[in-house]
Amino acid sequence: MRYEIRVEGHLSETLAKAFPELGHVVMSGQTVLFGPVVDEAHLYGLLARCQSLGLRVMEMRQLPE
Amino acid sequence: MTEFSDHASGPIPAVPYADPVGDPFLRARFALPARPVSFLRRQRLIDHLDQALRTPLTVVNGAAGAGKTVLTADWAAGLRQPVAWLTAEAGTLRPGVFWAYVLQAMRACDGSLSDAVVAPADADRVDRGLLATLAAELNDRDRPLVLVLDEYDRVTAPDVAEQLEFVLHHAGRGLHLVLVTRTEPLLPLHRYRAAGELTEIRAAELAFTPEETVALLELHGLSLPVRAACALVDRTRGWAAGLRLSALAALDSADPELYLKEFEADRSTVADFLLAEVLKGQPEETQDLLLRVSVLERFCPDLANALTLRTDAEPILAALHRDNAFVEPLGHSWYQLHPLFGEILRAHLRQRLPGLEPELHLRAARWLRRSGFLPETLAHAAAAGDWDFAAGALVDDLAIGQLFTSLRSGDLTQMFSHMGPEARSPASDLVRAARNLSGYDLERGMTRLRHAEKRLADDTPDLAAAQLSCALLEALAGRLTGCPLLAEKAAEAADGLVHEVPAHLLDKHPELTALLLTHLGSARLWAGHFEDARAALTTAAGAPGGASTVLPRQDSMEHLALLDYLDGWLGRAERKALAAVSQAERDGVPQPSGSGIGQLVLAAVAVDRHELGRARALLDEAPLPPGAHDPVSAAGRALVTARLLLVRGKAGAAAEATDPAVSTAVASPWATSRAALVVSAAHLAEGRPDQAAEELQGVSGDQPVCVAEAAAIQLGAGFTGAAIDLLDGIRSGGRSGPAVTVRAALVRAQAAERAGDTATARRLVEQALLDARRERLRRPFLDAGAWIRPLLATPPLDELAAGWLTPGPPRRDEQPQQAPPPPPLVAVELSGRERDVLERLARMMSTEEIAADMYVSANTVKTHLKSVYRKLAVNRRGDAVRRARDQRLL
Repeated sequence: MRYEIRVEGHLSETLAKAFPELGHVVMSGQTVLFGPVVDEAHLYGLLARCQSLGLRVMEMRQLPE
Repeated sequence: MTEFSDHASGPIPAVPYADPVGDPFLRARFALPARPVSFLRRQRLIDHLDQALRTPLTVVNGAAGAGKTVLTADWAAGLRQPVAWLTAEAGTLRPGVFWAYVLQAMRACDGSLSDAVVAPADADRVDRGLLATLAAELNDRDRPLVLVLDEYDRVTAPDVAEQLEFVLHHAGRGLHLVLVTRTEPLLPLHRYRAAGELTEIRAAELAFTPEETVALLELHGLSLPVRAACALVDRTRGWAAGLRLSALAALDSADPELYLKEFEADRSTVADFLLAEVLKGQPEETQDLLLRVSVLERFCPDLANALTLRTDAEPILAALHRDNAFVEPLGHSWYQLHPLFGEILRAHLRQRLPGLEPELHLRAARWLRRSGFLPETLAHAAAAGDWDFAAGALVDDLAIGQLFTSLRSGDLTQMFSHMGPEARSPASDLVRAARNLSGYDLERGMTRLRHAEKRLADDTPDLAAAQLSCALLEALAGRLTGCPLLAEKAAEAADGLVHEVPAHLLDKHPELTALLLTHLGSARLWAGHFEDARAALTTAAGAPGGASTVLPRQDSMEHLALLDYLDGWLGRAERKALAAVSQAERDGVPQPSGSGIGQLVLAAVAVDRHELGRARALLDEAPLPPGAHDPVSAAGRALVTARLLLVRGKAGAAAEATDPAVSTAVASPWATSRAALVVSAAHLAEGRPDQAAEELQGVSGDQPVCVAEAAAIQLGAGFTGAAIDLLDGIRSGGRSGPAVTVRAALVRAQAAERAGDTATARRLVEQALLDARRERLRRPFLDAGAWIRPLLATPPLDELAAGWLTPGPPRRDEQPQQAPPPPPLVAVELSGRERDVLERLARMMSTEEIAADMYVSANTVKTHLKSVYRKLAVNRRGDAVRRARDQRLL
């Protein structure tokens, strides 16, 4: 499964390193994290990581293969 | 051995060491968090929270840094009601641990909780009875208790939510539960909401309004027009942590107002950007310290110094606290990072000082070990991947017994399961051996134990603790391999070592001594050294209370029950086995647990009383897998199974079932003798008296119960002289119970009857009846044969037999299972609790319903039910109610 997670604001390079398994791109006041997600547990883990870093998740969707 | 047992029964504190509040780490978890200097009280939220006192459940729900905890702490500090506060720890909090801490929090708050509520001893499970008792006590309170669970989102076990709801439901008005959490709790909130029983404060309400923002910034020394505050609220969405950080960042800059304008225009993520800004404004040393302590949950200046390798932590932390930046004081000069900042700081640490994390964990572990914080030491050593250090800390603290018992055994076992082959110290080998032995992997365990021993013998430094740990494992190995010599040697070695290890460590870990003595006692029992076994087991059973010794205490008590049974004291054995179970149940261990020897003893007693259904049920209930390799419990199970088959007339199957299928170093006289008896009786039942007599060669003369039974078989096979010789050979040491005297009297009676001396026979049978009646020992009479029938039918014997033994004795040619069941006993007084259970039974309530209704566990209800059945001589619920009505007990 591939996912993209859109968070509010421009993510610094330092904080982006907290998601080493995902790529990221900054665009128009948002940062898009994207990449392979192993399973549901991983997905929820990513959400929890966003929360514990104080990030605001705007959108999250599965990408077509 | 004497010295060791003397020590064990010596002045060990009655209260177990586990005093969580004594530990600064834990003390912080039960303390109301301090409000920061610049805390802004918001009356609208306090007013809303006051409604929590009118609803059973309150949820304060918001993102990290939304100000949930400080709000709740401020509100709670102003309450007149007692408040119990618990901050959940990171990671998985398992049900047993969670409830142990909740109880501790309640005790720490006003001490009104009675001793009947005992903390669970198993990390994974909580007895329903405990929760019911707790709820009942809360329900009885005059002043309701407010229980605040902070960072409840860290509690991941799904069972906990269900258990919390159970307690909340049954506590009535006695409990107000306040959950402070980042995520939606798993309780059925919609139901509470619909019933108007929920107070909810969510993110939108927690957000700062522009007016509140102005007031907050003023506390930081910044004055801002409301219009500018509106923009700031827009940018941060009223997020408390964001506002605090922006105030700090603005203060660092030359023109605060301009800075805030720039921040509004910036499009970075709020926390990330602000934290980096504020961090940048700090001196180099402060930045370094903050990054390094981000690997810790909590820290004090000295611990921070250990990580920075400098000595300036105290002024830096004091200054950070004064500026209200990043750190929160926990009291007693301990601090923690705000969880949100900690997370971001760790991201910075990884970037700025890559690869330093393991080293920091190791430094923390070293400091924590020096300061005596074992659990935290182990966690950091594990995080550093230094298993030799972790194992060394565990062994030096004499805590290796915790791998077998205590709340933390599961956590420890799981933690050490990550240990790789690179750990090579003797302590690591000991931990590996302990894990193998606790999983009954004897071969590997022994190899590793020998390996560790050899290395310990080669090295010379201060090794008493490691050697004592070794002795414990040796004793366990001795027990599991049925080798008393090994266990004795281990106990002797332990004797010499207890004076070389610090006394406070031994006091702190009573489970070490209790386990060692239990293993020693079990090995002695196996080898037939009953008196020595009794000495060791009695000491172990009397070990200081508390969660850490529950399992060895139960185990040794059950072994003592077995000793009584083997000596022929049915009643005593039954009482001890039941006491072991109920004590462990009171201590929070779900039953059945452990080696299952207690259940086996009860089953054996039931066979001797000809309560075959009950024996079968007990046998099925006894836990099979854990005790499967323990020679004592394996042999016990084989023998009870075989005897049950024998009395049901399946002689061939019985003879086959006697083999316990464990290999042991020495043969056990009682196990061998009892197996020989079953085989011999099987031969006799199938009409081979000579073979039966031959089998009896295997019966040891040291086992009076077995000799008496052997005599009965000899007599049955027609060898009267041999039978009497056997009886004359019994050494009357005073320890033989009714199982011996009743059998012996019946054999002699039958011999007298054969010789035509009816008067003597009658006198002997009378004596046997008198001895057997109290114990309800029916088996010898049922085995005796037809000759006894006319005797029992004539006065005065008929009266002695009436009521508990069949009025008409069984005929010899009949198979035992066709023997008429014992008629109802004379009405036995039911106890108060048994009557309670019976009344509820009559109302068609299920076991679980009765348990909930009476605030006891289902197992306790089952125990009561069993004794009700026994007293009423029935096997089913319906029969029990019917008979109780017949006897006007209902």
